[in-house]
Amino acid sequence: MANGNGKGFVLWFTGLSGSGKSTLSKMVEERLLERGVPVEVLDGDEVRTNLSKGLGFSKEDRDTNIRRIGYVANLLARNGVCAITAAISPYQEIRDEVRGRVEQRATFVETYLDCPMEKLLERDVKGLYKKALAGEIPHFTGVSDPYEPPAKPEVVVYTGGEPPEQSCARIVKTLEMLELVPPVPGDDYGADEEAAVAARLRDLGYLG
Amino acid sequence: MALLSKLFSRPTKPRAVLIGLDGVPYTLLETLIAKGVTPNLGRLAAAGASHFQQMDATLPEISSVSWSSFMTGTNPARHGIYGFMDLKPGTYQMYFPSYPHLKAEPLWDTLGKRGKRSVVLNLPGTYPARPHEGVLVSGFVAIDLKKAVHPPSILPYLEKMGYRIDVDTSKAADADFLYRDLDETLAARERAFDHFWTSENWDLFVAIITGTDRLQHFQWHAVADASHPNHERAMAYYAKADAVVGRLLDRLGGDDLCLLMSDHGFCGIETEVLVNRHLVSGGFLKWEKDPPDSFADIHPEARAFALDPSRIYLHRRGRYPKGRVEEREVPALREELKAFFLGLEYQGRRFIKEVFFPEQIYEGPEFDKAPDLVLLTSDGFDLKGNPKKAEPFARTHFTGMHNRHDAFLLSNRPLPDKRPHIEDVHGLLLGWIG
Ligand SMILES: Nc1ncnc2c1ncn2[C@@H]1O[C@H](COP(=O)(O)OP(=O)(O)OP(=O)(O)O)[C@@H](O)[C@H]1O
Ligand SMILES: [Mg+2]
Repeated sequence: MANGNGKGFVLWFTGLSGSGKSTLSKMVEERLLERGVPVEVLDGDEVRTNLSKGLGFSKEDRDTNIRRIGYVANLLARNGVCAITAAISPYQEIRDEVRGRVEQRATFVETYLDCPMEKLLERDVKGLYKKALAGEIPHFTGVSDPYEPPAKPEVVVYTGGEPPEQSCARIVKTLEMLELVPPVPGDDYGADEEAAVAARLRDLGYLG
Repeated sequence: MALLSKLFSRPTKPRAVLIGLDGVPYTLLETLIAKGVTPNLGRLAAAGASHFQQMDATLPEISSVSWSSFMTGTNPARHGIYGFMDLKPGTYQMYFPSYPHLKAEPLWDTLGKRGKRSVVLNLPGTYPARPHEGVLVSGFVAIDLKKAVHPPSILPYLEKMGYRIDVDTSKAADADFLYRDLDETLAARERAFDHFWTSENWDLFVAIITGTDRLQHFQWHAVADASHPNHERAMAYYAKADAVVGRLLDRLGGDDLCLLMSDHGFCGIETEVLVNRHLVSGGFLKWEKDPPDSFADIHPEARAFALDPSRIYLHRRGRYPKGRVEEREVPALREELKAFFLGLEYQGRRFIKEVFFPEQIYEGPEFDKAPDLVLLTSDGFDLKGNPKKAEPFARTHFTGMHNRHDAFLLSNRPLPDKRPHIEDVHGLLLGWIG
């Protein structure tokens, strides 16, 4: 049994550069580790410096990159690990291909990080959008290269309009509902309900 | 003739009924029966000690822990519920353990796997409701009826008939209000018992009356003192609860097992004991801000603190953000605390009867969440985990408190020949239904 339920799965993030894949993969990783779930993160940036070293950004090279990430993620999931992938992965076809392979033995949780372009431009964490708009980067997803949003993702988080904690909580909640991670104490009541519970206990002389 | 009756009689199946009277003490029930207040319970108890016994509850002796032990047949280190509240791991933040945190399998899940149906009504510690084979209406601390029922299809019925989860305890200090509310809540409760008794084809029927506990929290003085102006009203409530029980008993089939029980005993309060305040005086506990707003105001030098009602936790490094108690210090510190508590006095009398280490009372996979010490008091000394009160002893409008040793178990069939513990009830029911 690798985690509480012994089920490995792939948590596949997809979204434009700056939509929050790296940020959320690290946050979700922490939340899952707290619950005793074994996790590995495959971040696009990191993968491109080793597993996919030498690949460029043509459609063909991008597909190869994603297939490699999918291959490793699948191996991990089959062995009871939660593999979180954080690559733009712009093409539905390749994501579906990976899904098909993963779902033979494990669960595939496609997670769409939906963030409006104006937010991304405003953030421009790596300064890449500025360059892309200036025509300095030929194949830049969302500017000079296509991005296909998932048709049927398991989760969507709106990373342009909510703090990362909220996006993270939504993703973890989904994993709980899919019974892929064990719930932790304390997050079963909403804040209002928790206050009501506390009031009832005080009525009977507890808590103080 | 023998053949005919075999052909025409319905195949009987062993069914079991469990009626809970929350918080009703064995010794009080003896008195109520002797005085003829509760004739239906008296009818069963007349069979003698083999049918009516004093029972031990859990430690701590509170409803959420006790009922969890009832429903799983296990101790807190197996079912994981040690109190009404706890601190989230690695924090000083409070949370309220409930049904989702129950780590052992409740009886109805076990029965469900064997194709048996259970109706479970008003059982504390089952909120939010989750599906099992049968029906569930969660009890205390259920807030929203929508989340307190399974299957969802029973919600419209309950809403329409005016079902009440509990009395309004926020107004219960007003005795007139309380007695009226108790009656109305009991009436609604009985309508629900009635409805599901006939509408469901059950193997196990669990029906809990919690008004008894509420009455006793607020009106123990009236229960215990026959000359108190509210005494008759209190007795009238027990009589009504007994009548509800009687109407269920009348419907039992010849092959049915019926058990009645409480989840802890009750007694009068002589004084509340503010455990954290005593820990401060004893030099074990220190706050960064005194009185504290919450446990988050604990000082790094604090070595121990108490959670409701009787649980002592060492402020360990690694377990709490500011904790500094090292593993090697634990054995000596436990002994020091034990001696400290056993020596506490109120008006020249010692009142801590026993101090338990967890390995003496708990066993199982949730053991690492157990408190480091658990206190047991003499009757009359009501332990409180409230960290804010400045005085070590106090009185409030509450007049009744729980105890461990005075719960009861009553049966329409002979009970095993040993003093029962609340964890045993599960096995009796499961054994009967099979
Ligand atoms: N709800 C949110 N979820 C995630 N990130 C958010 C959110 N709101 C704001 N942010 C911010 O957006 C930025 C996202 O950057 P991040 O490096 O995680 O993106 P990325 O998707 O990994 O980009 P790239 O594909 O270029 O690696 C961070 O600065 C983060 O703090
Ligand atoms: Mg990134």
